[in-house]
Amino acid sequence: MRTAPGAIGTLVVGLVILCLVSGLVCANQFSDKRTRRDTVLEYTEPLANAAQRLYVALSAADAAASSAFLSGGIESTEVRTRYRQALADAAVALAEATTGAADQQTREIVAKISAELPTYTGLVESARANNRQGWPVGAAYLKQASALMQSSLLKNAEELEKTRLARLHEAQRAISGVPVLSVVLLILVLLACALGSRELARRTNRRVNLGVLTAAGAAALTLLWIAGTTIAATSAIDTGSKGATARFETLARARIFAQQARTEETLLLVTRGDVTESESRYNEKIDSVRKDLLAVVRPDSSPALAFANWQDGHRSQINSYKGNDYRAAVDQSIGGGNATSAARFAGLDDSLREELDKAREEVRDGVDAAGDALFLSPQTTLILLFAAAAAVALGVWPRLKEFL
Amino acid sequence: MSTRNGLRLRRSRLLLVAMVATLAAACGGNAPDSPTTRLEVGDGLPVGSSEITSAPAERGADTCNATASLRPGTQPRPGNMPTGSTMAKILASGKLRVGVDQNLFLFGFRDPATNQLDGFDIDIAKEIAKDLFGNPGALELHPIDTANRVTALRDNEVDLVVQTFSATCERRREIEFSTTYFVTDQRILTTKGNGINSAADLAGRRVCGVFRTTTLEAIFNLEKRPKVIGMTNWLDCLTALQQGQVDAVSTDMPILVGLKRQDPNLVIVGEALAPDNYAVGVPKQATDMVRFVNGVLERIRNDGTWLTLYNDRLRADLEATAGPPAPRYSD
Repeated sequence: MRTAPGAIGTLVVGLVILCLVSGLVCANQFSDKRTRRDTVLEYTEPLANAAQRLYVALSAADAAASSAFLSGGIESTEVRTRYRQALADAAVALAEATTGAADQQTREIVAKISAELPTYTGLVESARANNRQGWPVGAAYLKQASALMQSSLLKNAEELEKTRLARLHEAQRAISGVPVLSVVLLILVLLACALGSRELARRTNRRVNLGVLTAAGAAALTLLWIAGTTIAATSAIDTGSKGATARFETLARARIFAQQARTEETLLLVTRGDVTESESRYNEKIDSVRKDLLAVVRPDSSPALAFANWQDGHRSQINSYKGNDYRAAVDQSIGGGNATSAARFAGLDDSLREELDKAREEVRDGVDAAGDALFLSPQTTLILLFAAAAAVALGVWPRLKEFL
Repeated sequence: MSTRNGLRLRRSRLLLVAMVATLAAACGGNAPDSPTTRLEVGDGLPVGSSEITSAPAERGADTCNATASLRPGTQPRPGNMPTGSTMAKILASGKLRVGVDQNLFLFGFRDPATNQLDGFDIDIAKEIAKDLFGNPGALELHPIDTANRVTALRDNEVDLVVQTFSATCERRREIEFSTTYFVTDQRILTTKGNGINSAADLAGRRVCGVFRTTTLEAIFNLEKRPKVIGMTNWLDCLTALQQGQVDAVSTDMPILVGLKRQDPNLVIVGEALAPDNYAVGVPKQATDMVRFVNGVLERIRNDGTWLTLYNDRLRADLEATAGPPAPRYSD
């Protein structure tokens, strides 16, 4: 059996240390959340967005290359400019997607894209040089370029986007999630306070010790603080299925499916293949676009209207194609003017981009607000628990002195 | 003045670099935390190409009279086909669906300037449409992969195939052929100064061919077999030759001539490896159509159309012709 002062001394020291450690852990976990907020705003979210833009830019470059091919003869300056602009957009997005990509997986995907992009442009230029001389082998080079784009470059870009979005989710969860270790330690503090009170009551003839009671109060207050800020942060970020991030993701997916459907629509004219097979592949993509689009925008919103408009253009192109009027089908697909599928598709892509920009702002605002909700949290929890430690020391010291 | 400043700046920058280098050297042993990624470049061959390890049975045993076809009867007038005949059905549909190549310069290719399909085979198809509809434009051209010519006819995707299609006994088991409208033989196309001068030089080299073509068999029959890379069309073979992915292409003379035209660094070498006879492919059951097509071919042989087409399309690249091949009939 240990002596009373010994037991009380051990108790005080243990409780003080527990309070101090809890304070440090709380402060550390909260400041980690604040740092993550900054990382999300500075890297994670811009990277996810860059990955999405990279996909669209690459797909747009391929569409422009196919248009140049389909228009026959010497390509127009407009189509050439569109191709070069898409490549420049891809380069910007690629540079952004590379910044701060610390993980091996992202670096590998980006390296693959960087390695294959010059191969792709090389094939397109070979196609162009041969086309200008009137050699049919240009078509073979273009088909190889397109195959490289569709089977590898775009697959990698899609993979990159998925990885980056997963990172964003992870970071958002880390910001809005419950700091488990802090909560566990605080419950331990409360338990230790309860045990300590019983022990003190047994050994000192006093029912309550004001110091231990104050410490328990501070720990409880810290728990309340954590609960309050966590709820505030969660509601600000909203990682649920109706939240801004889900909206962003759905829109990005719709935009990619729309690009794939447009590629299918153009490829039919390049390969002059079987219209039934091509249509079934096209419709598969289109159904996905429709489903995703209507999940996030109203049927009378501008993206939904642009989508319907593009569908009308597609129908008239397919009707021409089925009616054996290849030239009219090509004109409908890539010709000049507002009624062509190319112009209608550009309208859809523009309105999707606008919606994406809006959703993106909401995502960033949410993360920012969540960070704000954690304002002063590291300091407050640290002060509260250091105060708890001090209260224990000050409150138990007179009792301890009685034994000396 | 500015030059001197620039010089000073450059010198101080150099000093900085040297300092950093020394520091870095001093802190040696700091291995990077992740190994440098190494990307495999791959062979860069066109999508859809792969090595062929055994000869396709496209020619088959010479058990039949491969080039003999059905004798034409009295040729019906354009736009007025016998009731119930295959031609009447096609006439009612409004257009003749013809399987053609769009990747075969001179015979069936897409003209980059006009975006239209053109070539000797397509001219033949136009002559058939002319005799059927009275209008050479009543055509629906279906570009099909060389390997799918038989299946396109069998599955009724097209009414005819005019696509450098060699009549063989193996193919005759599933489809019919018209009489021969073009006779040629197989050679080798390679890059100048490549050390390949005959079929014997192909041993151990990489040779490009197209899946399910008769000309693959001659390559596989060589005493010392080369590595055979299969592709979906002959233009892909040209890109592979231009990028050094294969050493040679071997197939029929006019196809090789079409490829050579597009690149002055290429040369056709060697002796004739195997003869080939191009005929129009017709669905098995449509014997009335076979007779009709043979009637059209009979006309263009006799009225000088064939010779005009040859001279317009091929004379510049091939030797002068003695005229169209004589038809052989089985009945």
